[in-house]
Amino acid sequence: MKITRITVWQRTMPLTEPYWLSGGRLKFEELDSTFIRIDTDEGISGWGEACPWGHTYLPAHGPGVRAGLETIAPSVIGLDPRGFESVNAVMDMTLPGHPYVKSAIDMACWDIAGKAAGMPLWMMMGGQDATPVHVNSSISTGTPDEMLALIRKASAEGYRVHSAKIGGADTKADIERIEAISSALPDGESVTFDVNRAWTPGVAVSVLNSVSARDWVEQPCETLDQCAHVAARVQNPIMLDECMHNFDDHLSAWQMKACEGVKVKPNRVGGLTRAKQIRDFGVSVGWQMHIEDLGGSALADTAAIHLAASTPDANRLASWLCHYHLADDPVPGQGARNINGLATPPSTPGLGVQGDENILGEAVAIYGG
Amino acid sequence: MKITAISIYDVPLTSHVTYNMADGKTCDTVSSIVLKIETDKGLVGWGEVCPIPHYLPAYAYGVRPAVEEMSPILLGANPLETEALMLKLDAHLQGHVYAKSAISIALYDLLGKASGLPVYQLLGGLVQSSMPLYHSITCVDPEDMAEMAKEAYAKGMRQFQVKLGADSNNEADIARLRLVREAVGAGPLVYGDWNCGATSLNAIRVGRAVKDLDLMLEQPCATLEECAAVKNATGHPMKIDENAHDTASLLKAYELGVLDAVALKLSKFGGIGACRRARDVCLHLGAMMCIEDTWGSDITTFAAIHLGASTKTSNLLNVCDLAGYVSPRYDEAAPTRADGRITLPNGAGIGVTPNENTLGQPLTIIN
Repeated sequence: MKITRITVWQRTMPLTEPYWLSGGRLKFEELDSTFIRIDTDEGISGWGEACPWGHTYLPAHGPGVRAGLETIAPSVIGLDPRGFESVNAVMDMTLPGHPYVKSAIDMACWDIAGKAAGMPLWMMMGGQDATPVHVNSSISTGTPDEMLALIRKASAEGYRVHSAKIGGADTKADIERIEAISSALPDGESVTFDVNRAWTPGVAVSVLNSVSARDWVEQPCETLDQCAHVAARVQNPIMLDECMHNFDDHLSAWQMKACEGVKVKPNRVGGLTRAKQIRDFGVSVGWQMHIEDLGGSALADTAAIHLAASTPDANRLASWLCHYHLADDPVPGQGARNINGLATPPSTPGLGVQGDENILGEAVAIYGG
Repeated sequence: MKITAISIYDVPLTSHVTYNMADGKTCDTVSSIVLKIETDKGLVGWGEVCPIPHYLPAYAYGVRPAVEEMSPILLGANPLETEALMLKLDAHLQGHVYAKSAISIALYDLLGKASGLPVYQLLGGLVQSSMPLYHSITCVDPEDMAEMAKEAYAKGMRQFQVKLGADSNNEADIARLRLVREAVGAGPLVYGDWNCGATSLNAIRVGRAVKDLDLMLEQPCATLEECAAVKNATGHPMKIDENAHDTASLLKAYELGVLDAVALKLSKFGGIGACRRARDVCLHLGAMMCIEDTWGSDITTFAAIHLGASTKTSNLLNVCDLAGYVSPRYDEAAPTRADGRITLPNGAGIGVTPNENTLGQPLTIIN
């Protein structure tokens, strides 16, 4: 089987509510997503999506996906899409770095391989069943009362795992948020306090050694070195996210004893192949993981849910669904959706989500014949 | 002063000699992206970045979308706020340091022109106006490489970078190092560069086979840990290039004992300011520095040479006259190599005034 053509669409997807990043980073109101379809000489086509979370969150931006595809796409024409490792090796040779570009191609290759094999991706990735995975809420920062009100609302909607955004200049406010939320959390529910790099190591140690809560704390500081410094000095389990860009970073984090869990986001690390490698490493060293994508419609979300569903229960915490926060649904009703706080991957062969040219409109680029 | 327009040019640079590196990487004709930043005061700043294909996480076609993404911050901003403006760009778009490098060069060019000072004055002042060059020898037959080394030696070059690994042949790599070492005699610096293309096994086998020679090795493998293993096993001093791209990586290289020498390239670090910070860290760590860029013509060549001119002589390994390896040159009046050295251009800012005919039509003008 050979890749014959790659078709690219751009789609601007508005968020239902504007999003502010901590630390005074920009507000954004929409996401710039890139959809691709890979066609093969055997008539099987696969879909992929790459959607950075705005342009301020990671070294990634929407127009960069399309510019990168212009350089990478011609190099994979003629390859067998089922050979994930060799497809990735060619992409890495053609353009070092830029994982956020490669994830769309890699995702479409997995879709094709699943369709060709007659297997859903959760099975290709090692799962026994289409296991429903917990969807985590995303609780905006605010006063403790405001945040608790949002958590109670989320609980009523079925969420059992919450991600509460904290981190600011006022350390006292963060201490109050952590203590209030942790002590008021209903039985059977858990929370991760997501700092999104907002603390310096000194603030992190000061805050976390001032609280009695022992909940997960995510990405307290900017760099892996800083987070490792904090992890050695606090009691809370540490989850890492934005500072992890490739497999080497995960190996370093483990060697440095910097965390007890990681967020596995295919778009951040370069696709499902790389994300699976990291997931497998995480399972082998006993990490607990949130597996979700950086952003995107239900197409990208579903790819990540396949990987999450195929992960052992002991190593899987929950998954966030980006499409749930969008005022746009370019793959209407398809894929893993949030039903009472749970998302279940489709069991049709491949990804189980099809793009629709009538919805996506005119392609912005076509590579190959 | 306000930025009013940014023009982006794509200039194909053709190497005088096709340049081969390990893993099939070559550099024959490549796109250099030139930026012209115009202001309401009539002053113009020039920037340039020329990523070698497949070499670093950077590519020519990635520059334009990144500059367009950052343009809302740049248009209307005061270009004289060089580093404060770079902070705003970092907040707006993370990473993409290679695109920021071209912007940074143009901002320093403007700051220099506005103040009537050459860029080296903005970086701490003149330490030397003439700097040693190295000659990079493309990876071909060992005998031909030795011949190239001899020719360059006759013209005054005293530092030789020997590209290795293009044919994945250890015996040929051993011959390259031996023949070039012999060709230039005792004294000159000779270093073998794999550009990450070797396994530690092959690099150690080659390095041990030439253990009797006075050599330095450069970036044999893809990670710092592997490079450290190669240094420990072969005893040859080590220069780091691809793995050195920010303060953390410099510190890690130092801790691993492989920072004997390091390549500080403007577009790896994110421009003149970022590279100046790296330069100052390296002074503290005692590393010998090669101050240059990945590739390019006059603008980025002389931007790096200004940084070299303000760097302590004892720690400046060399600079590179990239513009001398390619055509077109943008400014025929800019200095050329003589007696193995290069000098600073005259004038405020970078001191390079591109002949706009050499740039062609801009890809786009953002205003």
